[in-house]
Amino acid sequence: MSVAAPRFYFEDVVLHGVLETPAMTVTEAHVALYGGVTGDGAREHGLVPDLLPLCLTTGLGWRVPQPPLAVLAFMGVEWVADAPMRVGDTIHSRSETTLKRSMKEGGVIIEQRQVINQRGEVVQHGKFTFLVAKRPA
Amino acid sequence: MTDTRRFFDDIQVGEEYESPGRTVTEADIVLFAGLSGDYNILHTDAEFMKQSIFGERIAHGLLGLAIQAGLFTRATQAYATLAFVGLRWKFKGPIKIGDTIRLRAKVTAKKETAKPDRGLVTVERTVVNQRGEVVQEGETDLIVERRHT
Repeated sequence: MSVAAPRFYFEDVVLHGVLETPAMTVTEAHVALYGGVTGDGAREHGLVPDLLPLCLTTGLGWRVPQPPLAVLAFMGVEWVADAPMRVGDTIHSRSETTLKRSMKEGGVIIEQRQVINQRGEVVQHGKFTFLVAKRPA
Repeated sequence: MTDTRRFFDDIQVGEEYESPGRTVTEADIVLFAGLSGDYNILHTDAEFMKQSIFGERIAHGLLGLAIQAGLFTRATQAYATLAFVGLRWKFKGPIKIGDTIRLRAKVTAKKETAKPDRGLVTVERTVVNQRGEVVQEGETDLIVERRHT
């Protein structure tokens, strides 16, 4: 018997629900891999490229005791850099669902997300908008 | 050695740049999944995606965003950037394996800041594929150094 992998559907999302992820240390290896794939780099040696924390926060969101969100489409992101991030910093992210709007096909979810360093400072924050599938009937 | 970076004073509102194209490959998507830890089936499960509206795996939206940041450095001489302030971004359509994307960018605003040695530059950016379809678009704000006088 095969059991489908669990997914977190629109109906499962709790408005104002908060998720806090485990932390990860961002290393030279992350910066090098990111640079190799994207061609984008840091403004100066020792800093982490501006968009790398944003990219890592999506993976951090997978390391929570909840199945992955059944995303149909990633619609948009608004993002603010509050402080520079350095290689060796350890970050985690915290997100809260601030909007849930049911549509004909799926529903729109808005998540406010913060990337927080080892000193508890918010280094980047912003808003993700997703179109999420409804539970199959 | 001459500093070839472009300072706040050099950058003009209305300037436009177009980057070279870049073909997004399966390897790019696999590497980005490994780097970010985002293994969403949209990007990693070819069989599941055959049944989806896209018909195949698509690139992570943030991979497209990060690649355009790389393409920006190939579209114009480097800015004398002091800080990245933020962005507003929309994902309009999928980037599929084998698609070739390029960046079209335009400086839309320059603003003074509280500090006299720097200013805020807003760049409007459009990512288009080989068919000229806009797949991503948005704006970025950067703090750029002024030329030392």
